[in-house]
Amino acid sequence: MGRQRWWRGLLARVTLIYAFGALGLSATVAFATFALAQNRLLAEVEGQHRQQAFRNAIDVRQRLLAQAPILEEAARADPEAGTDSEIEEAQRNTEEIYNNVLAQLRRPNRSLPVIVLDDGTERSLTATRRSIPTKLQAAVDPIEGIPDTEPMKAAQLRYSDGDDISYAVGVRLDEVNVTYYEVLPLTELQATLGSLRVILIVVAVVASIAGAGLGYYSARVALAPLARISGAARSIAAGDFSTKLDMEDDRDLAVLTQAFNEMVDAVGNRIEREQRFTSDVSHELRSPLMTLTASVEVLERRKDSLPDVAQQAIDLLSHDLRRFQRLVEDLLEVSRMEAGAVQLQLSRFRLSEFLENVIYQSQSPHLELTYSEEDSLTSITADKRRLAQVLTNLLENADKYGDGATGVHFEVVGENVQIVVADSGPGVPALQRDRIFERFGRVEAGNRASAPGFGLGLSLVAEHVRLHGGQVWVTDRIDGQPGARFVVQLPVGEHIDVAEEMAF
Amino acid sequence: MRDIGHHAHVGTKILTVEDDERIRQAVTLALEEEGWDVIEAETGERALDTFTATPADVVLIDIMLPGIDGFEVCRSIRRASDVPIIMVTARADTHDVVAGLEAGADDYLTKPFAPKELSARIRAMLRRARTAEPGDLERIKVGELEISPEEGLVLKKGEELHLTKTEFKLLVELASQPGKVFSREVLLERVWGYDYFGDGRLVDVHVRRLRTKVEADPASPRYVVTSRGLGYKLQP
Repeated sequence: MGRQRWWRGLLARVTLIYAFGALGLSATVAFATFALAQNRLLAEVEGQHRQQAFRNAIDVRQRLLAQAPILEEAARADPEAGTDSEIEEAQRNTEEIYNNVLAQLRRPNRSLPVIVLDDGTERSLTATRRSIPTKLQAAVDPIEGIPDTEPMKAAQLRYSDGDDISYAVGVRLDEVNVTYYEVLPLTELQATLGSLRVILIVVAVVASIAGAGLGYYSARVALAPLARISGAARSIAAGDFSTKLDMEDDRDLAVLTQAFNEMVDAVGNRIEREQRFTSDVSHELRSPLMTLTASVEVLERRKDSLPDVAQQAIDLLSHDLRRFQRLVEDLLEVSRMEAGAVQLQLSRFRLSEFLENVIYQSQSPHLELTYSEEDSLTSITADKRRLAQVLTNLLENADKYGDGATGVHFEVVGENVQIVVADSGPGVPALQRDRIFERFGRVEAGNRASAPGFGLGLSLVAEHVRLHGGQVWVTDRIDGQPGARFVVQLPVGEHIDVAEEMAF
Repeated sequence: MRDIGHHAHVGTKILTVEDDERIRQAVTLALEEEGWDVIEAETGERALDTFTATPADVVLIDIMLPGIDGFEVCRSIRRASDVPIIMVTARADTHDVVAGLEAGADDYLTKPFAPKELSARIRAMLRRARTAEPGDLERIKVGELEISPEEGLVLKKGEELHLTKTEFKLLVELASQPGKVFSREVLLERVWGYDYFGDGRLVDVHVRRLRTKVEADPASPRYVVTSRGLGYKLQP
């Protein structure tokens, strides 16, 4: 999991797909909405403006027709013939007429009316001139030499002047020799559309986030059974075969759930059979062993009153009975490990004291245990019974194959403690040093092969040590003498108090 | 440990509950060699009848019995008596041990055990709670508890508490030095007579049982207090 990229995760992918889907959908809807709204609004505003422009154009025509004599007179006034004041007078009159006409127009939408005279003079109300685009002028103006057939030729144009967009309508009024223009700045509409755009963008973004959320949620919901299954699988791996998945209402999931539960049952039954076998064997072997142990003890008590031969026989019997017991113990331990039923009973204890006790109860109770003074107070956290079995098996191995152990030594090495059992036998060939820790992996050549044993002892040593998070290996003796040196390395462990918890 | 020779236990009756006839015979033989009187029972039902008729001084119960099992026998006997009970389990690392101890057993052995070891266990159980030092003869008062080792009595607010022999020994041991922490190993040695390889669960389960009788709220004990990582102590 660790090295996989995050987007490889199903949850992330579903979330992304939903997010992009929502973004695509909402962007399309927003774009369409915007386009529609823009068209609708423009059509409406421009339509109204067009009607208004036409009404005003008619108005302008009528008013100018009414004032026609004065205008014609003013136009006829010869600039060279009249005095300056007369000319000024005439011009003022004309200007006044146009201004009056313009002022009386009805313009609820605050459009700008412009009257362009044929001589090029523009008359308008505002100081800031709005120049009429030539394109519009060209469309309305009479073409020279060709008489107009239409009484009121008109044209319209939407154009932009810098950032501002305007809509202008031009109407040719031939009878009064002017062209009437009415320009409508679309700034207000532009502002409205701008706000609309912002709103739509926000909506699109929110929709994608909501989409991502929805995707995440539905993926979670869809993946929840998977999480349940993996949780169940984990607890089964930990050995709890009573783990079951609740039957799902969903038919698709019910198939999976049922298959999973059947698998758990099948595996659980098999393991249970194996465990029952182990416990059956345990019972079957222990019962005769119990009878033998008790009976041999009675014999040993009465040994002194028996003839020599019988005494020797009893010694043989009791010695091999103990060996048999240990063998059964090892066998059971192995089958327990195979059933995965091993649970360490950890406690914390002083190593020197522990090892001394184990040696004392072993076949060679007077074997020397060596350790430095600074290590004498070392405590470790381990399963006492199993660690005792480790040392006992190593000692027994030394007895069987190594002419007996020559000593046990332990020392602290960093976070670990190394327990060393040395013997004076032929040693273990380098090539076979790994194999001897495998089950039934007894060394085949040389003395060790001819010696008795099942090869269980060392494999158990390895298993126990591994369960404790340690290692075991074998080397030649470091003092140059012939013999093997078995090293068990165990972590010293935390100072814990598990004994009480184990009891519950 | 005192060395008790042959016939020193005459009159001490051990009830052995074991369904396997050969094991029963062999164990009886060995125990009688050690000098104990042995009463045999092959089923749980028979064991309960026998115990009612002739109460034994120590009971040895195999957990795996046909009919009513060893746990149930243990519980039934415990309801009526504080007799020391040793149970025999197949394995040491199973829940059986804790279950047996909770059913009221004082100690356990795993099959196959050496009858010599069983004798040592029985002797440890029959030994009285610390009477060696004269100072211990005095009553010990801790809070509302009043312990008199000599009479084998524990009073709480003047009322007698019914403890088993092992629970009593455990309490007296802890009370011998109130406030001092006793490690599990020390308690195993002094109360159960184990040399080194005693099972810490014995102490833990008995402490728990003791708490249910001594404490007002066993979940947050006032008297028998756990000292994390070290052991237990009696809070003065």
